[in-house]
Amino acid sequence: MDRRGFLKLSLGTGLAATAVAGCSGSGGGPSGGGGDVTLRYAWWGNNIRQQNYTKALKQFSTANPSITIEPEFADYTAFQERMTTQIAARDVPDIFWIASPQVMTYHKSKLYRKLDDIPTLKWDDYSKEDLETFKLDGQLNTLPFGIFTPVIRYNETVAKADGVTIPAEGPGWTWDSLAELLVAYSKNNPGKRKGTPYAPDHDLTFEAWLRQRGEQLWTQDGQVGFTVDGLGSWLDWWEKLRKAGGALSLSEQEGMGPDWAQVGKKVLVNFGNSNHIIDDAKMFPKEKFRLRAAPIAAGAPAGHKYLYFPRMAIYQRIDDGNLEAAGKVLDYNVNNAEMLKTVRLTMGAPTNPKVAEQAAAFASPDEKEMLAVVAKERAAERKPRYEAPPGSSTWRTTMARICEEIALGKTAVPAGAKKLVDEIGAGIKRAA
Amino acid sequence: MTSRSKFYLNRQGRAAHVFLIPWQLGFLLITAVPLLASLYLAFTNYDILNPPEWTGLENFQRMIHDDQFWASVRVTLIYVLVSVPLQLAFALLLALILDRGLSGLAFYRSAFYLPSLLGSSVAIAILWREIFGDDGLINKGLALIGIHGESWLQNPRTALATLIVLNVWTFGSPMVIFLAGLRQIPDELYEAARVDGAGVWRQFTHVTVPLLTPIIFFNLILQTIGAFQTFTQAHIVSGGTGGPANSTLFYTLYVYQQGFVAFDMGYASALAWVLMVAIAVVTALHFLVSKYWVFYGDS
Repeated sequence: MDRRGFLKLSLGTGLAATAVAGCSGSGGGPSGGGGDVTLRYAWWGNNIRQQNYTKALKQFSTANPSITIEPEFADYTAFQERMTTQIAARDVPDIFWIASPQVMTYHKSKLYRKLDDIPTLKWDDYSKEDLETFKLDGQLNTLPFGIFTPVIRYNETVAKADGVTIPAEGPGWTWDSLAELLVAYSKNNPGKRKGTPYAPDHDLTFEAWLRQRGEQLWTQDGQVGFTVDGLGSWLDWWEKLRKAGGALSLSEQEGMGPDWAQVGKKVLVNFGNSNHIIDDAKMFPKEKFRLRAAPIAAGAPAGHKYLYFPRMAIYQRIDDGNLEAAGKVLDYNVNNAEMLKTVRLTMGAPTNPKVAEQAAAFASPDEKEMLAVVAKERAAERKPRYEAPPGSSTWRTTMARICEEIALGKTAVPAGAKKLVDEIGAGIKRAA
Repeated sequence: MTSRSKFYLNRQGRAAHVFLIPWQLGFLLITAVPLLASLYLAFTNYDILNPPEWTGLENFQRMIHDDQFWASVRVTLIYVLVSVPLQLAFALLLALILDRGLSGLAFYRSAFYLPSLLGSSVAIAILWREIFGDDGLINKGLALIGIHGESWLQNPRTALATLIVLNVWTFGSPMVIFLAGLRQIPDELYEAARVDGAGVWRQFTHVTVPLLTPIIFFNLILQTIGAFQTFTQAHIVSGGTGGPANSTLFYTLYVYQQGFVAFDMGYASALAWVLMVAIAVVTALHFLVSKYWVFYGDS
């Protein structure tokens, strides 16, 4: 073969390969004939959740042979990064979970398709009040598929062994009584445990604290909903607890946002979301964990209780031919207890009240504990809560940094509180 | 040159260009275009989700009042100024030892080079966390002699030092280059020095170091640029926060936080360009100063 022949062959092969590659691949559009549909479904979590959801989605496809689901899974942080690049490339999955800091950012970017006109997605089981709380700016364009509430989780096995009684919910269950208990316990227990990890950056309990003082995390018009004083009082409560030895030091817990597998053996209680008990309790299989709703401040206003919803959505630009299938998938996620038998309740109590009742029948003891605490909060009077506005996506990282600075003595509480409110406000202003 | 041979060369040139097309396309699409795009984005407010908005110099002005930016500059400068000389000194020391003709040289060379391959990996950063943590290997060792140590990674005074140690530990790459440089120094020069009564130290300072300066300079440039771009270790060890209290907030980590956590790509691009210019300036300064201390054989 001469050089010209070789070049022709090389170019020809390259072009052919490009053409073949262009024909292959899996787009999100209707695939093939016979009305078959392929949908991309994106979610986050740990390995166990990945396996459970992959299995559940396969079960769905088996029951609905015309619908194929391509799973797109990632760890929580990587999920957000990938979503952002997918959005930039207009390559968004048909169905996706929404990370809490991005709910309103995506809403502002018109990423969600409205959900109340999809015949395959049923809303009959939900009350009018429920549907109102699901809406964003009056639009039913995301689907809450679980409920979390702020809780104090305690190790009942250790508490019993150490002769500690966690007060029952009621008038004696206040932030002060909790702090006293944690400090007293830390000073005198055989296992040299501390009361709690240092967790002033836990968002759900911080929000509970604010609402009990007539403030909120975010306002309806997308601004910071709390004052420097409100935040300062929360940081101050933690600082007193830490200085009194009631909480782990940053060194003992290896920084902010500690790993439960590491600190679970060092503490009596933890501040967390109600759903965390399901995965966290498994790390200490010989011990039993129980939940208490967050303590209540004296004089807390009516309606301070709240529910947090993880949400999912259908992409605004989904192919019309795929819409009913996508609705069916969403319906399977929230209105069908069968899926929960596979994925369990790691994403919280079901939002569908009937499914929540059905789930109680097959729930594990930890899941039952979670369902009970959520059911109580759900029955309580609740004022509206608003999602994090665009530009506030890093507020928890900033809060963790400032809490860390306070614990290390590099910033005083009032200065730290002001700095945090200013930084969050500046981010929101930039995004406006 | 005959017209036939010109034609032949032109044909060769054309063929070369055809073979270069894949590289040129890669350079254009993966390097040049994104580079220019990031230059444009540096002057915009861009959150990826919405089209970029031109804001002129706003991102650069923002840096002046950004405490986090200055914290990251401080951490990175300390890291570069401390870890690079330490690493080079350590690499040179080991190269000198290995150059003495130890038995099993190939084994030691490979063993010492290994950390260079692994040093910037996620696995080693996780291992570092385990070694320097509250319940880590170091503190367990200290406990044996009755010292109760706190987490080295959660103390702002020691967190950066642990990452400097990690970088120094990856001395293998400059060590191998030093070793090659040492092999190039003619034995006659050492013999002449010995005849003139030079001891080991004098041989080192008057023969080895001067003739090794081009290699030292080369390593210095490479390691300085690498140190400015340190990311993985800090990201893993601090969980991406740059904590405690910004003590491991490396510049590249801050760029990442702005770009991929806050999705403030305009600001992240501006930060990236400032880093690129800073590295270029530092490298240029190295070259300017090099004429005073680097000796090439032909000069």
